[in-house]
Amino acid sequence: MKEKKIVKYYPLIPVFAAYLILFLVGHAVPGMWQLVAMLAFYCAIGQAFNIFLGMTGYVDFGYVAFMGVGAYGMALSVHRLHDVEGIGMGVVVLGLLLAIVLATLLSLAVGAVALRLRGAYFAIATIGVNEGFRYLIEGAKIWGGSEGIVFYGHLAKALGNERASQVSTYWADVYIFLIAILAACITLGYMRSKIGYALTALREDEDAAKVMGINVTKYKIIAFITSSSIAGLIGATGWALKLTNVFPPEVFEIHYTVECIIIVLLGGAGTLLGPPIGALVYGLAKYWLSIIIPGFQLFIFAPIILVVIVVFPEGIMGLLRRRLRETALDKFIE
Amino acid sequence: MFGMQLAGNLLQGLVLGAVYGMATMGLSLIFGVLKVVNVGHGAFMMVGAFVALWFFNGLGLSPILAVPAAFILGMSLGVLFFYTSIKRLIKAPELASLLATFAMGILLEETVKLIYGADFHAYNWTVGKIYMGVTVMPMSKIYAFLGSIIIALILYFWFTKTRGGTALTCVVEDSEGARVCGINVGRAYALSFSLGIGLTVASGVLLTMFIPVGINPYMGGVYTLKGFVIAVLGGLGSPYGAFFGGLIFGLLENGSYSLFALVPGLEPFAMTRFFSFLMLLLILLLKPTGLLGTK
Repeated sequence: MKEKKIVKYYPLIPVFAAYLILFLVGHAVPGMWQLVAMLAFYCAIGQAFNIFLGMTGYVDFGYVAFMGVGAYGMALSVHRLHDVEGIGMGVVVLGLLLAIVLATLLSLAVGAVALRLRGAYFAIATIGVNEGFRYLIEGAKIWGGSEGIVFYGHLAKALGNERASQVSTYWADVYIFLIAILAACITLGYMRSKIGYALTALREDEDAAKVMGINVTKYKIIAFITSSSIAGLIGATGWALKLTNVFPPEVFEIHYTVECIIIVLLGGAGTLLGPPIGALVYGLAKYWLSIIIPGFQLFIFAPIILVVIVVFPEGIMGLLRRRLRETALDKFIE
Repeated sequence: MFGMQLAGNLLQGLVLGAVYGMATMGLSLIFGVLKVVNVGHGAFMMVGAFVALWFFNGLGLSPILAVPAAFILGMSLGVLFFYTSIKRLIKAPELASLLATFAMGILLEETVKLIYGADFHAYNWTVGKIYMGVTVMPMSKIYAFLGSIIIALILYFWFTKTRGGTALTCVVEDSEGARVCGINVGRAYALSFSLGIGLTVASGVLLTMFIPVGINPYMGGVYTLKGFVIAVLGGLGSPYGAFFGGLIFGLLENGSYSLFALVPGLEPFAMTRFFSFLMLLLILLLKPTGLLGTK
């Protein structure tokens, strides 16, 4: 009985292994850390977005807004609280908390409003939220308006110069690894619980799920809030803490949402292993193309995306699963 | 004084709004028939804008002549994209078609960038000005305004008076019913997608009359977003609704700019954008059939 319970969580092993290898490669090979950090960032956003997009089938085109408010949470905390006596690393911890709070509040607001809509209407509404929020910040000049927040100096004042540069060049990336692992654990936890079954039912046929007595709204909102608060954390570390500046046109850029969607779809939507696979394939391909044909990587990438959507709608995981069904490796794949 | 300025701005907004409306008819047509949201909408408009540039600077022809050329190019692009990808994605989840149309947009942007580079290009078509009481209007804008109305009227008559047009209307209303009545629904899909793209590309030509700073391959993003707001204003999926949505949007955009400029401490340009997205959300929630919708 007990052994069976552990077997349920075997699929986490390949995910952890992938992150561990990535982390070690970043340390062992000189000059690799930047690339590894980028790949970890893609893994994290893919994993976070998958909890909502993959598990419910709803397309949030304004997903980047949650990363954006997360980045603002960190920026505001460092910018406003850096001169509190003896605050030190507390400023970063408070920044992470504020990021979660802001992302959760925004997701509650969006969830209450937009989750009543379905399909294309939902996608358009979420684009509206993202752009509306960006222009509200710029137009009403809140949080620094279009000038953004630049806070490296403030971070250095709170932590000291050396620690501040260490935090922004090294620890911010390590946090991203931890967030990616956290997101993977939550994904599998949901999959193996009532929440996962309810979400699968609603993804396949929302009306039928409702008739069967599943409280679809509740489970949609659970997935939405989980996914967005993780996105807030990623924005706080992967953007704000790493770059030490926040500008509205950059943190609300719709291309990041599209990158998330590509990663999830490439790897396989609604699977555990899909997002990291998608992130690694996407990140490495993007990096490689930008070296061999600088400036034209998108020109090559766009047709590839089209082919993947048309020919492999289930992503790499779809192929892998079919190959490995009924083999010894099957229980490691989810 | 403020009244004059507001009236002038509203008049400019009305003229621009007609072009906005015509530009969104294709987006709404494609959504109405195929239930596909064209996220690459702005990129298709950008292609039209470059056709106008090529006609004016390269061939020395009037941009008005570029409209039919852009329409034919758009129809061809529509047929190409329909048969290579969209056809297989109609029944797939929204995710697939959203990403596919976005990828098409990127492909177009990068292709145009290969040819023209990423810089801004401008052309100057001077055909005189006209004084209209409260504002001075370049004649080129008047031509764009008239062009939009003519195209919208042609589309209206095509939809209501011809066999092909009424068949499409039937598919919008009830695609299963249309199939039972012997309408080739597959061909109707292909036709409406390429017609929609053709209209969108043609509208890009007219739009250039309103962009004095010039055009570049990445100009489309803003127009995709405006297109969404307009399509929602007019009731997603209704091409005529989209035309009137465009007129309303043009008036609201310019009118709200004048009002926000009065409030100190606000950045009026960004507030106008905020206001338009607020409107998008309110309409989606309160009246998803659009401002003019009946249901």
